[in-house]
Amino acid sequence: MNFRQFAYRNVIRNRRIYAAFFMASVFSVMVFFLYSMLLFHPSIENRFLQEIALVGMGAAELILFIFTLFFLFYSMRAFLQARSKEFGILLHLGMEKRQLHRLIFIETLIIGVGAILAGTFLGYMFSKFFFMVVKQIVLLPALPLYLSWKPFALTVGAFLSLFIIISLSAPVFIRTGRVEELIRGEMADLESHGFSTKKALFGLALLGTSYWMAASTSNSIVIGLTFLLPPLATIGTYYFFTDSLPFLLHLFRRRKKFYWRHFWLLSVSEGVVRLKENARMFFIVTIVSTLAFMSVGILASLTSFASQYRAMNPLGLVYHSLPGNQMEQRHVAELIDELKDKKLDYTLVRIPIIEQTSSFTENRVSILKLSNVNLLAQSFGCSKIDLTKGFAMFLPPSASSYDFLKKRTVETTLKETDISIKIEGAYPFQLFPSSANAIGTNVIILNDEDFEQIIMQDIDPASVYYAFNIPDWQNTKEIGLQINRESFITGSIHHLPYIFDNPGANYAIIRTTFSLLLFAGLLLAGVFFLAAGSFIYFRLYTSLERDRKQFDVLRRMGITDKEFKRIVNRQLIPQFFFPWGVAFVHSSFAFLSLQVIWDALAEISIVKELLLVLVGFTLMQVIYFYLIRWRYLAHIKASA
Amino acid sequence: MTWMTGQRIVELSEVTKIYEGKVMHRALNRLDFEAEEGEFVAVMGPSGSGKTTLLNLISTIDLPTYGKLVVNGIEPEALSSNELALFRRHNFGFVFQDINLLHMLTVEENIVLPLTLDGLPLHEMERRISKISSLLHLKGILNRRPDELSGGQAQRTAIGRALIHQPKIILADEPTGNLDSKSAKDVLELLSHVNETERTTIIMVTHDPIAASYCDRVLFIKDGEFFNEIYKDERRQTFFQRILNVLSLLGGNVNDLRTL
Repeated sequence: MNFRQFAYRNVIRNRRIYAAFFMASVFSVMVFFLYSMLLFHPSIENRFLQEIALVGMGAAELILFIFTLFFLFYSMRAFLQARSKEFGILLHLGMEKRQLHRLIFIETLIIGVGAILAGTFLGYMFSKFFFMVVKQIVLLPALPLYLSWKPFALTVGAFLSLFIIISLSAPVFIRTGRVEELIRGEMADLESHGFSTKKALFGLALLGTSYWMAASTSNSIVIGLTFLLPPLATIGTYYFFTDSLPFLLHLFRRRKKFYWRHFWLLSVSEGVVRLKENARMFFIVTIVSTLAFMSVGILASLTSFASQYRAMNPLGLVYHSLPGNQMEQRHVAELIDELKDKKLDYTLVRIPIIEQTSSFTENRVSILKLSNVNLLAQSFGCSKIDLTKGFAMFLPPSASSYDFLKKRTVETTLKETDISIKIEGAYPFQLFPSSANAIGTNVIILNDEDFEQIIMQDIDPASVYYAFNIPDWQNTKEIGLQINRESFITGSIHHLPYIFDNPGANYAIIRTTFSLLLFAGLLLAGVFFLAAGSFIYFRLYTSLERDRKQFDVLRRMGITDKEFKRIVNRQLIPQFFFPWGVAFVHSSFAFLSLQVIWDALAEISIVKELLLVLVGFTLMQVIYFYLIRWRYLAHIKASA
Repeated sequence: MTWMTGQRIVELSEVTKIYEGKVMHRALNRLDFEAEEGEFVAVMGPSGSGKTTLLNLISTIDLPTYGKLVVNGIEPEALSSNELALFRRHNFGFVFQDINLLHMLTVEENIVLPLTLDGLPLHEMERRISKISSLLHLKGILNRRPDELSGGQAQRTAIGRALIHQPKIILADEPTGNLDSKSAKDVLELLSHVNETERTTIIMVTHDPIAASYCDRVLFIKDGEFFNEIYKDERRQTFFQRILNVLSLLGGNVNDLRTL
């Protein structure tokens, strides 16, 4: 057996310990590879998507890489510490330190190379599936599977260098100073305090402040807060785990009435030890989970964004031709051709708009013909409206203005043509885009007879509004690209003699961006989820020896199986759920302040989506918890 | 002798314990043993003679393969594992060689642990702690952690934990095995003091004839079978001498005598 074989067998025989570590590594390699596949995909070149993919996936890759680095460092250190007894024996038997370092180097590299191979292989296997999922959410044309050296090179390069760094620095973790110390195995230093009251209060104050600010944001300061709060909360969280929490537990321990109650004594004191060992890990998990919740929550809210977007933009395409537009006929014909080409059903209503001055307000008022509006309404399945001669109706620019206008009655004379009308109530259906894309703020719908009369008086329409009702509105993103291109060439939008709006395309861009980010976020969250879980498992595994001894003492002392399970529950549950709980609270407050932004943007409520996301994550975590508890209990009892 | 008139608290008749595994191992073979209430018994024998197995059977952690075992009027085989756990909790106190304090608890918390599991009121727990800690001279170190204790202090803490719930029986497995002679002497005197004042039955497995000489009676076993049994006399010195004699008969295992 040569030296390399020895290292190899070490890994193989320690596979139970290595398994969780290996799995998490494989998974992060796999996800990294999938991102790279998308990043380098040849068919998303030269599109707006590429930019999103580059930024989104690139950022995700970077986060993933850094996280993996941390994860590997932590795991490696804990792992080597757990094996210190074994190393002590090797040194005792006369192995040189140089050789020991080489042993560790080779072992780490074996795991690393194994993880990279397995990860890229699995990644490639899953990439077709991955592309299908991406296609589904992004509404892209099918992304073909492709073979290129680039994603492979990036993944292998990144992770190989990562593992080499880790394996070179790993020996630093084992203190080879005193052999007998290694053999005896070290106990974690357990100073009675290990926290500073000042930092503890500081952390609590920071968190309290950021919560308070997040909860009480108003529209005017929210933008400033989005820059101020994240760093504040992050620092607060760090101190919360390293100092505040130990401080609070210390306070709790002084209340013997509660602390000395049943299992609290064991659970809380064990919790303190675990917390001390893992505070930084908890911190990372919390921050990362918060980010994951936030991205997922924001993105999940897009479903409600979609319906609201639709409500605000009922028309599939809008072409509003202003006076002096020579391209009107050609543009509209082009749009019709393209729609036919794509086999999209549509209803086109040509709506001439007349402008007059109202004697009542002395303002210009845009006038639509009732039969035109009714025509459009029919295509939406809305009922006809009747107006007799001399009557008109307000066309509310937005849903919120309807309530105000529907009770209003105005008698006015259209100055230019001297026609008196009575404007009564508001048009009840939302057929035209609201807010920014509305026809105008001062629009009325006039009965046909009076409208014809105005036309008779040789008044030319001020503009013509082409309203395309397209039921399949989300698939119009390829329509009107030519017009857009012309607009770009011609120059500023404000000087164009027409307004062209394609809500479907705009929506597709927004949706695609968010969906890609969501997808990247979800995968990232998956990696973090697995890594955090494997880390906890790993910690448990390294302390198994100690825990077994404790279990033996407790068993003799007369602890029933049920009680033991409860004790283990109380030890494990905080480790699993506390970081997530804090992340929950963090993101809830973040959403509180984000809601203000959403409200301002589009009157969207994201409470439902957020709840769904939180419930989903919790469910996964619960399953993971039971899985690990099952393994842990089996290990503990097996030896006792 | 007067203590023989007491109630039998532990009774083994023809107990055999076989460990099945890759290699079948007969740890105890048709062993008879009983202890009276309030007795202080030592169990001696070479390594692998079945001393610890005997202790595990009495403590109901293990069940005998054959034979009858009665502890405090109960046959452990008749109880469910839940009932057994509660039975252990209320009847036994344990003292181990490697002490086995829970390292994350302070001295006080280690001692009070068995009581918290039963949910006693706080004032009762504090009353007992105060009584025990003055008995065991632990008053000054109640807030220390196990890694801040000397071996003797740690073992006294463990004894405190074994006594706090006023068990019927204390089972001690080499309680002085890891202690220097001064601490060992303290611990033994403490145990016999507890035995005398509280009338707590103590069964102690030991290698050390000095430790055994504190007891009322010494049971010798070899290869899982009864070998000999001797009772204490007026003077500890002669009792000690007689223990040595039996030990030397017990087999040419000189190593067992080396500590002398």
